[in-house]
Amino acid sequence: MTPSEVRPKPLQRLRRALAAPGGQGAVVVTLLAIVVITAIGNPRFLGIQNILNVLLQISILGIVSVGQTVLLISAGLDLSVGAMLSVSALAGGLVIHATGSTLVGVAVALATALLIGTINGLLAATGRAHPFIITLGTMTLLQGVAIVISRGSPINGMGKLYDIFGIANVLGVPTPVYLLALALGSVALVLRFAPLGRYAFAVGGNEEAARLSGLPIFRIKVSLYALNGLLVGVAAIALSGILDSALPAMGTGYELRAVAAVVIGGTPLFGGRGSVWGTLFGVLLLGLVSNSINLLGIGANLQYVVLGAIITAAVMFQRSS
Amino acid sequence: MGLHSSILEAHQIDKRFPGVVALEGVDLMVGAGEVHGLVGKNGAGKSTLVKILSGALQPDAGSIRLGGRTLPSLTPASAQAAGIATVYQDQQLVPGLNVAENLFLGREPRTRLGAVDHARMQSEAGRALAALGLQLDPRAPLPRLDMAQRQQLTIAKAVQREGRVLLLDEPTAALNKTQADFLFTLVRRLVGEGLAVLYISHHLDEVLAIADTVTVLRDGRRVGTVAADALDKAALVSMMVGQQLVEETPQEAPTQPVETVLAAIGLRLGADSTPFELAVMAGEVLGISGTLGSGAFRLARILAGLERPVEGSMTLEGRSYAPVRVRDAVARGVVFLPEDMLREGLVMPMAVAPNVSLTNLREVAPGGRIRLRRERRATRELTRELAVVPDDVEREVRLLSGGNRRKVLLARALFADARVLVLEEPTQGVDVEARREIHRLLRSLASEGRAIVLATTDLEELVQVCDRILVLRKGALAETFRGPATTPQALLASIVAGTAPTERRAP
Repeated sequence: MTPSEVRPKPLQRLRRALAAPGGQGAVVVTLLAIVVITAIGNPRFLGIQNILNVLLQISILGIVSVGQTVLLISAGLDLSVGAMLSVSALAGGLVIHATGSTLVGVAVALATALLIGTINGLLAATGRAHPFIITLGTMTLLQGVAIVISRGSPINGMGKLYDIFGIANVLGVPTPVYLLALALGSVALVLRFAPLGRYAFAVGGNEEAARLSGLPIFRIKVSLYALNGLLVGVAAIALSGILDSALPAMGTGYELRAVAAVVIGGTPLFGGRGSVWGTLFGVLLLGLVSNSINLLGIGANLQYVVLGAIITAAVMFQRSS
Repeated sequence: MGLHSSILEAHQIDKRFPGVVALEGVDLMVGAGEVHGLVGKNGAGKSTLVKILSGALQPDAGSIRLGGRTLPSLTPASAQAAGIATVYQDQQLVPGLNVAENLFLGREPRTRLGAVDHARMQSEAGRALAALGLQLDPRAPLPRLDMAQRQQLTIAKAVQREGRVLLLDEPTAALNKTQADFLFTLVRRLVGEGLAVLYISHHLDEVLAIADTVTVLRDGRRVGTVAADALDKAALVSMMVGQQLVEETPQEAPTQPVETVLAAIGLRLGADSTPFELAVMAGEVLGISGTLGSGAFRLARILAGLERPVEGSMTLEGRSYAPVRVRDAVARGVVFLPEDMLREGLVMPMAVAPNVSLTNLREVAPGGRIRLRRERRATRELTRELAVVPDDVEREVRLLSGGNRRKVLLARALFADARVLVLEEPTQGVDVEARREIHRLLRSLASEGRAIVLATTDLEELVQVCDRILVLRKGALAETFRGPATTPQALLASIVAGTAPTERRAP
């Protein structure tokens, strides 16, 4: 072989093999590796109880990430989802305490998240600034709102929510997992069969082409951010049920983990492609890593290092186009 | 070829993409001091070969030698370091820097203290530019330069960096006649100094005029390499297409237009331009032309709802038509097909079917649910009718060639059942065959009773396809041509009449 013969370098070949199909090969391989290593290190890992435990742990992040997937496909982004989650859970908690009605509290929590999502959408759709910056602004604002309305302290006792999401199982599976399944399934259907889902891909793939095709870009964007808000509201209700309280900082950190899960799942930051199933893999990866770190007895201080390394590696191995 | 010792040699280059053989056993030898033309239809492999030579793509097999030395696998940076410079539009220039700073980017002259020696940089830049016969002000900020001047600067930058081979990919695409002529002079001058130029273009006349040698690619293989003076256009076309072609003009007898579809009264394009009126008939292809700034393209965009006139009113099929957004125009059956498809027209990461159905998705989504099978069937019918290759509506649009992408855009307009199609430069950058195909399609769409508005600066296109041609000057309607007696010469004379000779911004 002469030096001039150009062959793909080993690294490129590895990357190509991992990238197929759908860009989630790397994630699947990493997942398998984690499963195998942890199962060897701790046999309890593959026990049904632990698997259910992992599913419960990822359900909230999963619901939030499903909403973020839709936004990233359309080349949008909402960094305020964590603060949005806190504010709507607090609003729900305040109403439950004031009225004694869990149902009204749930409705208020959902309406709050939907409203905030819509406002983010209205701001982002103006195109005056990148959604990153806009929602960074609303994120800070909402964090402040959360502290103001809660006076900085937790609201304890979320009425029947604790019974519904905190302790209940259906067929042995914790109820929040069903919410995640519902979110995944319905958004997958929207993306595949609803015009709005199709338009999300079109706007993300080429906004100008979508505009010249006569699509109502503004309305599409607002709808997608509103849908994301609604999903955050669902996550807020489930999480406050699990915790049986609403806390001013309960959603902090979800925004970045959600974006990480979506991107690990193969949806590029610049939009036009992606799927919620990829995102499910991303969320599973994050959840399993935390879980296996616990089961392997790696110290809590090292958790972030390992988690960060795996996120970075998974993203680096993704197909770039 | 014997005259020139070859400086750049590519041997037996193979390149495959998933499902496609882009290049197979291609050889290319470019001599020092020669202009080597590279031609072929869309999809013949020209772009792939250029990308391989410039290091943007890695070949699957084959070797590249420069000045007798075999190059290891190329990257864009190592190709440049070796002396292979590629000139695309203007993407190698930094907008925030001025001419001299761009020219010396990364190798600025320094003072003894290590700071950039601006005075020396300006004066050296001035000398270097003058040596190439370029009238560029070293201090001019980049945004002040037009496309032609940016291209000149890119070439100067390449030469300045001891480029030995210059790859020019469709260099005249954004240039007018004067600018193109200047480019040819520059290329000849560089070649005279021993540089090798690989010149890729769809404009065969241009290639024949400037190239010493021409290599023809067809379906990823080299058909032949011939001295340019042994060739004429017909011979070149037959090498590209693989069979003898009869000369031009698919002109059918123009149908008799009867009914006015789109009309405008008192239309004023600029604040101080003369108002005019206009009517587009069903079944006709109406050409609109003029120099840059004449308002020809602006008129097309006004008709399609992308821009608004200063004054004037329009009617569409007898009812008032005042689109505020593109969406309003689309809703009334006026569809715009932009020139810059990649940027404005198609959603590249989506497949053909959703691109075609985009404008009228409701058609295949009764009750708000997209019927994927119905969508595939309906869009496939159209893409077959337009002969989109390959016949696969689930293929991503970015994997199609330029001509086929245009057909997908046409299919979208048909899917939306457009009454009026407004097109901008529909055959720019398309090969000979795709061009005829598109012209034929436009005629047949018109004969179905649609109105076609064709804004183009391509004189042959106007004469071959249009029933009527409006020439605009200074934002107003200057002259209307109709009938087969129209010649490109007469059109050109009208287009440039009364305008000052092309201005070059003085340095």
